[in-house]
Amino acid sequence: MRRSMRLAPLVLALPLALPFIGVGTAYADGSASANLTPVVVNGSTGSGTAMVTVTGNTIEFTLAASGLAAGPHAAHIHFGASARHECPALSDEKDSDGRLSTTEGAPAYGAVVVSLTKTGDTSPTSGLAVDRFGSGPSIQYMRGGVTVAPEIATAIQKGQAVVVVHGVSYTGARAQAKSDLNPALPASATDPAICGVLSASPSGGAATGAGGTAPTQNEGLLALGGVGLLAAAGTGAFAARRARS
Amino acid sequence: MTVALGVAGTAAVIVGLQPSAGPPQPPVSASASTPSPTSALTSGRARDAVGLSAKFLSRSRPVAIAIASIGVDAKTLVTLGKQADGSLQVPTDFGKAGWYTDGPAPGQFGPAVIVGHVDSANGPGIFYKLGALRPGATVNVRRADGSTARFSVDMVARYPKDRFPTNTVYGDTTQRAELRLITCGGGFDRKTGHYLDNVVAFAHLL
Repeated sequence: MRRSMRLAPLVLALPLALPFIGVGTAYADGSASANLTPVVVNGSTGSGTAMVTVTGNTIEFTLAASGLAAGPHAAHIHFGASARHECPALSDEKDSDGRLSTTEGAPAYGAVVVSLTKTGDTSPTSGLAVDRFGSGPSIQYMRGGVTVAPEIATAIQKGQAVVVVHGVSYTGARAQAKSDLNPALPASATDPAICGVLSASPSGGAATGAGGTAPTQNEGLLALGGVGLLAAAGTGAFAARRARS
Repeated sequence: MTVALGVAGTAAVIVGLQPSAGPPQPPVSASASTPSPTSALTSGRARDAVGLSAKFLSRSRPVAIAIASIGVDAKTLVTLGKQADGSLQVPTDFGKAGWYTDGPAPGQFGPAVIVGHVDSANGPGIFYKLGALRPGATVNVRRADGSTARFSVDMVARYPKDRFPTNTVYGDTTQRAELRLITCGGGFDRKTGHYLDNVVAFAHLL
């Protein structure tokens, strides 16, 4: 039976990427996070995470830690241009008193540059303002709009700033020791408990594929199909001419 | 004869244009990066802190990952850092998942990152089916201390690598213990040998 063959247009269904939805907000210059793990010698069993987002000379930080001793936990960002930019090592414990004081750790992490307080001043002068820090075995808070010096903003993004959370629990002789920062306080109140270097977040995506299962178009079938359609058109047209003639 | 040729020809073209089966892709393709909560104001006065109440575990390295709904059951994870250009290292073994050790361990507060290949040059990789993961699915990560961190998937998205929302994936945007599972997706560029997109599954600790 003769039938004219209409070639319907073929529509390819291409995957469409959604348009980029720009948000009119200033993006951060960078972010960094620190894994807080026990400082050598002092025996803390705590751990935690500190995250810092830098925008110009302003930072926002989040501090979360658990497994700490009871009591207040002063927490700071430390930095020193000539420091080692790391958490203390065993060799930093110099006076064989069985504890690593904040001062003994300075060659490793440098001086206090930001006090991670919950309210009020965030400068080094608030370093021991224990009533404005977290307290107890578990702490977690976030704070924004903290102004820092430009070299601190840079140090944070370059992996040179260190977060130290202080406050441990001592027994025996160490429990009698006085703080190197303020002799009116026990050493246990100010000795470093957990520490971590702020490390820049990864940038961009991940190269996690080699294409072995990637979708392909079967060129052979396409060619066969094209020939078939052309042949159909040819015989159809021939049949139409024959019908008319 | 004409009709038969026409039908067969059309069918061959349609079949020829259908992609042969590749890795499953998530339906959501998002490319907006979540901005940090950092305010654009520079008043110089720090805002008061906000207390948080997230559940999180101690730091303990992951030793196994199981995602029952897509058949992932890996008994080891390799450790990963950053490459020289700042991007994430990836496992050299296409059959192994890896975790980013400079970030939180799975279960800790913050975004823990586990990465795996979607495929090798020859066949599926460990995260071949990641794009088929759906919200509500469970991801179990066993840790060296014997505990298991159980996560629930919130969202699975696909992002172009050249517009990767770094802050959404690696930044502090949710203030809780979270997990990102990352693999490749989208179109594969045979000239460069790379996939164009990344598939990222976001999950939170239960």
